Amino acid sequence: MAEVSADKTNVSPLLEMRGIMKRFGAITALDHVDLKLYPGEVLGVVGDNGAGKSTLMKVLSGLYTASEGQLVFEGQEITLHSPKDARDVGIEMVYQDLALAGNLPVYENIYLGREPGKTAFGFNFVDQKLSRKMAMEHLNRLHINIKSVDQKVEELSGGQAQAVAIARATAFDARVVIMDEPTAALAIKEVGKVLDLIKRLRDHGTSVILISHRMDDVFFVCDRVMALFHGRNFEEAMIDNTNRNEVIGWIMGTKGHTEALAHDSL
Amino acid sequence: MSRRTLTGFLAVAAVIATTSTSLAEDKYALIMSSLGSANPFWGAVAQGAVDKGKELGVDVAAVGPPGGETDVAGQIALVEDQIAKGVKGIAISPADTAALVPALEQARARGVAVIFVDKRADMPGTYIGTDNIPAARMGAAHICENVPEGSEVAILQGIITGTTGQHRAQGAREGLEACGMKIVAEQPADWDAAKAQSATENIMTANPNLKAIFSSNDGMALGAVEAVRNAGKLDDMFIVGFDGNPGAAVAIIAGDLEASVAQRPYQMGQIGIESLLALAKGDTIDENIDTGAVLVTKENAEEFK
Amino acid sequence: MTHSDAASQDELATPAARRMQFIEKYGVFAVVVLMCLILSALEPDIFPTTLNLTNILRQIAMNALLALGLYIVILTAGIDLSVGSIMALATMLLAMADTSGYFPWPVALLVGPLIGIACGMVNGLGLTVLRLPHPFIMTLGTLYTLRGITNLVSAGRPISGISPEVRFLGSGEIPLPFLGEYASVPVSAFVILICYFGVSYFLRKAAIGRHIVAVGGNPQAARVSGINVDRILLIVYSLSGFFAGLAALLMAGRTGAGFPNAGIGAELDAIAAVIIGGASFFGGRGTVLGVFAGVLVMGLLRNGLNLMDVSAFWQQTFIGMIVVGAVYIDVLRRKAGTAR
Repeated sequence: MAEVSADKTNVSPLLEMRGIMKRFGAITALDHVDLKLYPGEVLGVVGDNGAGKSTLMKVLSGLYTASEGQLVFEGQEITLHSPKDARDVGIEMVYQDLALAGNLPVYENIYLGREPGKTAFGFNFVDQKLSRKMAMEHLNRLHINIKSVDQKVEELSGGQAQAVAIARATAFDARVVIMDEPTAALAIKEVGKVLDLIKRLRDHGTSVILISHRMDDVFFVCDRVMALFHGRNFEEAMIDNTNRNEVIGWIMGTKGHTEALAHDSL
Repeated sequence: MSRRTLTGFLAVAAVIATTSTSLAEDKYALIMSSLGSANPFWGAVAQGAVDKGKELGVDVAAVGPPGGETDVAGQIALVEDQIAKGVKGIAISPADTAALVPALEQARARGVAVIFVDKRADMPGTYIGTDNIPAARMGAAHICENVPEGSEVAILQGIITGTTGQHRAQGAREGLEACGMKIVAEQPADWDAAKAQSATENIMTANPNLKAIFSSNDGMALGAVEAVRNAGKLDDMFIVGFDGNPGAAVAIIAGDLEASVAQRPYQMGQIGIESLLALAKGDTIDENIDTGAVLVTKENAEEFK
Repeated sequence: MTHSDAASQDELATPAARRMQFIEKYGVFAVVVLMCLILSALEPDIFPTTLNLTNILRQIAMNALLALGLYIVILTAGIDLSVGSIMALATMLLAMADTSGYFPWPVALLVGPLIGIACGMVNGLGLTVLRLPHPFIMTLGTLYTLRGITNLVSAGRPISGISPEVRFLGSGEIPLPFLGEYASVPVSAFVILICYFGVSYFLRKAAIGRHIVAVGGNPQAARVSGINVDRILLIVYSLSGFFAGLAALLMAGRTGAGFPNAGIGAELDAIAAVIIGGASFFGGRGTVLGVFAGVLVMGLLRNGLNLMDVSAFWQQTFIGMIVVGAVYIDVLRRKAGTAR
């Protein structure tokens, strides 16, 4: 672990999770988990089902409150009580089920809960023209090609919907975007486009946390990878200093796998 | 609402339209507060009204609101729609005594004659129905004829905040006192058979020599029968009900119940239409028209089954 | 995400799906027009008269308001079974307030809508604070409870003698002498018009309105977008209560009385109108205009069957069949949607 952070000693982390504990009744889902995220990097978080990846991300996105531990963002300790709090500091999450309202058009989904508009008679009225225009510009910036921002999300393909979810996460200068299995439900030809989009976000300076089961994805886009096992930190490394069989070993809770061993066990 | 449903609707509507009577006849409406033939009483009233209409050469529509007795809004709509149809008169049993008033006033303002059948609204007008006081007296007189003078008797009352309940209780009391019966109990059982059963049990416990019971409706009378049967006194108890329901008729034939006072719904419908026609023609008619009552006993119970 | 994807999207919009969308949007209006034509053909001397047409306007007013409130609830995939009972309690209390002599008429006027909002909030709080599993449970509870309270406060008796000022919205008529002796437009029709335009604008333009639609589409999406879903539900059920209270005011005006049996079964007519109008029980779908068309279908059906003296049994049967038909169309739509 020392060698990992050695590369980044000159940069301070954008986000730090320190000693995060999360218990559900008698079950400890997260046991003193630490996480560091540097500016402009893509961090892969891997682990078997139930290892605590999703719980950790839900703590970070404000959906869950940690039982213990600290969240430090840009050197300042923060507390998140709701997804809104997280969004306010610039932490956005793209959920595995996308969490889009299928009955609403693309542009409304992008600005849902943060609609541009004016207040009159104590009510907020949406400026739909402006919202449409902003959505179009934003999608263009991300090179996302959708026929019309007025299309309902339920009419989109899986990859297009994923792109809309990512567009929503990045609509307001997000600093951190968390993506939970963004390629799991996609057709193969759409996977590459989503991964390209992740790279583009990093190029724009956004830090990304990628949760994925697919080693191809992790090794294609991530700068660094960390593994959780049974709710604890297990191992982490710069992507160039490891290989997929070693990481698969971490997921299964073993260290020091050789190429051959891992291959056999799969 | 596919094309098929619509064609179906069209077909049924066409059949209904062809069966409705010609426009040449004067139109009158009987607007009931129930679904009509769903209730044997109203079925008979409607039949009487329609038959009388045929006899007199007028078109009588007997209709009720789709929501039944409590469908006040539906009944108001019926009044409005019958006015739009151009009826000359409306005989109505209002679903609510107050809420129908504006609609009926509007009918009168447009020259439509309005009378009340079985129940009146809170407004002037002729009421056609059973006068419950003499009807209950008739039932009481039947007890007097069959039970020795001075016997202990009890009255089961209906809901006594309503006029029907009050009048039946009053008629029964007057009739029983007139022939020298000893009324030992007058208890309300709210038209309910189960309440009547427990009330009767209590009355019999307090008055072991009870000889007769007048019940303000048949449901309560059958409740009383159960209580008396359980006490093993069914043979020496003379029980009279009210309404002439089919259930009561069966109990009378079986000998459990001695008699029931029946209203005459068929006559109510006939007299209703007769009076409505007279009023529409401009004749003056009485404020209250009693359609009378008939005593159901073993001799005629078959007709009421 | 590319042009080729967009093209393949077009291929998915099969003629069948497009036909479905067309029926979804305009089918109910076609039904309204067709019903008018059929009724005009069957009862040419009665149906198209101004008297009968204004009668229909008077008769649909109450259901129009209840259906509007229910539409907002059904948008969130909820249900409000208590609107009929809310209406009964509101008419009763406003009749009591108005006839008591203690309140000036403007106060009595507000009683109905305020009671409605209060009852709606109780539904909303039951749902969000007590976390009852489905609005069906909570509002079925209030259906009985509020009806019971209505009977308790009134002892089961009607209260008449409501003042003309309070009755105006429900019974006022704007005469149209040039159309005939009795021709007039009911004031209640304007109340309906204003409410429908208001709700339509609110749902399309106000942020809260859009959030209501979003909650209906996917509550989880709304939640993670920072929308307070509980607050939205509270607003939704309060609105439903408000419209039930306003319906109570119109009913009190129409009848001049508060009566305990007001609105029994009215929730079912309102639900039927909303579903016929193209809203979905699954939430997030439908239009205010469609709901109005649904209300018209119900009103025309009842009026037409009344004019033809069709027995109440047939009326129940027809309405039942139409509701089943409308829900079946909803299911077909659903199927067409998930076939992709």
